[in-house]
Amino acid sequence: MKLEIGNFYVKDIVFGSALSYDKGLLTINKDEALDFIRQDERITEAQLYIAKPGDKIRLCPVKEAIEPRIRLNGKGSFPGYTSNLDKAGEGISYALKNCSVLVVGRHWGGFQDGLIDMSGEGQKYTLFGSLNNIVLVADTDEVFEQREQQKKNDALRRAGHRLAEFIAQCVKNLTPEDREVFELEAVIKRNPEIEKLPSVVYVMQPQSQMEEIGYNDLVYGWDMNRMLPTFMHPNEVLDGALVSGSFMPVSSKWSTYDFQNCPNIKALYKEHGKTINFLGVIMSNLNVALEQKERAALFVAQIAKTLGAEAAIVAEEGYGNPDADFIACCVALEDAGIKTVGVTNECTGRDGQSQPLVTLDVKCDAIVSCGNVSELIELPPMETVLGELESLGRDGLSGGWADDEILGPSVRKDGSIIMENNSMFCGDMVCGWSPKTMKEF
Amino acid sequence: MKKAVVYINQFFGQIGGEDKADFAPVFKKEKIGPALEFAKNLNAEIIGTVICGDNYMGSNADKAVDEIIELLEGKEFDIFLAGPAFQAGRYGVACGTICKAIKAKYNIPVITSMNVENPGVEMFKKDMYILKGGNIASKMRADVAAMIKLANKILNNEEIGSAQDEGYFGRGIRRQVWREDLKPASERMIEMLLKKIRGEAFETELPIPEPDRVPIAPPIKDLSKARIAILDTGGIVPVDNPDKIQSASATRWGRYNIENIDSLKSGVYKTIHAGFDPAAADADPNVVVPIDVLKTLNKEGVYGSLHPYFYTTVGTGTTQAEAMRMANEMIPYLKEDNVDGVIMVST
Repeated sequence: MKLEIGNFYVKDIVFGSALSYDKGLLTINKDEALDFIRQDERITEAQLYIAKPGDKIRLCPVKEAIEPRIRLNGKGSFPGYTSNLDKAGEGISYALKNCSVLVVGRHWGGFQDGLIDMSGEGQKYTLFGSLNNIVLVADTDEVFEQREQQKKNDALRRAGHRLAEFIAQCVKNLTPEDREVFELEAVIKRNPEIEKLPSVVYVMQPQSQMEEIGYNDLVYGWDMNRMLPTFMHPNEVLDGALVSGSFMPVSSKWSTYDFQNCPNIKALYKEHGKTINFLGVIMSNLNVALEQKERAALFVAQIAKTLGAEAAIVAEEGYGNPDADFIACCVALEDAGIKTVGVTNECTGRDGQSQPLVTLDVKCDAIVSCGNVSELIELPPMETVLGELESLGRDGLSGGWADDEILGPSVRKDGSIIMENNSMFCGDMVCGWSPKTMKEF
Repeated sequence: MKKAVVYINQFFGQIGGEDKADFAPVFKKEKIGPALEFAKNLNAEIIGTVICGDNYMGSNADKAVDEIIELLEGKEFDIFLAGPAFQAGRYGVACGTICKAIKAKYNIPVITSMNVENPGVEMFKKDMYILKGGNIASKMRADVAAMIKLANKILNNEEIGSAQDEGYFGRGIRRQVWREDLKPASERMIEMLLKKIRGEAFETELPIPEPDRVPIAPPIKDLSKARIAILDTGGIVPVDNPDKIQSASATRWGRYNIENIDSLKSGVYKTIHAGFDPAAADADPNVVVPIDVLKTLNKEGVYGSLHPYFYTTVGTGTTQAEAMRMANEMIPYLKEDNVDGVIMVST
């Protein structure tokens, strides 16, 4: 399977008369884009903004991030989600790089939503603080969940994906500045030189712990709560087969942008043929009941063993209860004789003294650790807020609170905030970006 | 200039060796022994040296601590340095004890240094900076230099790095940090994977402690002949708490005779455990240590006999190492009385 992504590197974004891209300058016709968004009648209020690194902007509640992409064959970038079911992972797509579409609630946030700062001390906590962002701030008529802590955010998330496709149209007839090619031969038809190398699988555990449909990550539009682990080509992940959900404390989230650019997959690709034989992705999930967790681990270990994997990487999109899935999966692989490295974040508490994962096993002797969800973060006021900052304390965001007898409210009158890392949008970057690690003090 | 006090034992205080280990604490304005070494590079003026015999501290810890705090009355200092204690067990425990007390009393930074084999490390590493020191006194200069380095950082209000970076024993506090090289997780993952595949040494970023599980004992064959003892971590003690067991993070325990009573009466016994609502246990201590039921069951012949003491400590916040030490101190009494089985009650 061969996937080619033609890249256009966005250096600046402005609003103007026509949607266009020229030498790094992305111009968006705001009204035209908003009209397109409002085609979904559930959208009651919508505005577009630009947020670039260094801007004195705070965004909250952020719900989703998507890289603008267009498929040259004219089909949708997220098959089974924004368009009919179709293949992902091959052919040619164009992408606007260093650029994302961010979806922010105009008023209402929830457990799964987060915060991004574009400058100052808070900028480093998210990847999106360093990207050129097109920000859709909108509200919907989904009043049934307005005051629910858990929100599906369906209209807003779909609006973000559709907007990303809409914007990427402007590069369809241009020549990319560079091209990335992702190609892996069929597992049993590889060059003998490659077959001599240690074979490795990448095991992904996307978030799927909500029993009700509509909150979980999707694979080709299918709710991942309703699947058993299966073998996938890494190109499918990079090419829109995976769409992020709306459930976990958001520092653990993998946004759709993270799936499209998954650094762990790219790192394995880079080593393929040099130091390893990258077999592909075992797509698992995260479950609620112990038996479901154990069944998924059994499937993963079996698939890895049957493929002949000698080593594996396991990465989880979540913490707490999902740690049981993560540890069970690593242990099952080790028990099958497969050398395993885990990638996760930790929850050691505000004082750093809690057990880092809900469950531990000495067989998990190689773990890359990406951050502490419960680290306290205090940030000064920001000139401009996109969205509604009050939501951080009011709407049950996982890292915010209305009031606390020692710390006071999360959102203070002057606009300064105190929060847990839990609500930093995709802040722990277990998909591979994380420059953070954990140390004992 | 900021001020410091140094604590050392009778040996390094040039009072004497083992024969002077009962030496009661004194405060001397001079810099003595290691204090002279500290004075060379410490960014603080050493206002004096506290010298205390290791046995004096070991056998009268509360008294020794009180006396030292009295000696320091009215003296102003910003940091307290104890040791280095190397592998000397009693000295290490003494350094830990006084540092913990000083930190609690004055809320100032305290630093000591011990060898990994020193029992004081396990007992106190969560309470203070204990630098990883040498095993013998010939490592004095290096150990003092390491203490000075950390002390100066604290005195200069510099950020204190991780246990690994600064060379102290981890205090069980795990925090997120940005790597200096900002190397992303994806690259670290590949490096770790390749090392693991190749059988090379690698360093996990989340070390998982070896579980320390005790195998479950085989069942008692004939309960009707068995001698049974009861122990608890629920803090049930005679109301005056004669052994001064702490309400949390206990290091002390007691045993209390129950030969001639049929029940633990409210007002005679109570709980000193700070980790649960004591109302029910104070109203009827038998809900934690059921002496009443044990006596009845004994009369009914359900089991053979009851060991004449119950044993108490407090479980909340108590470290595994302390719990193990206390258990090892209790076990000889139980063995001596040929106890066949014990009931371990929590709260």
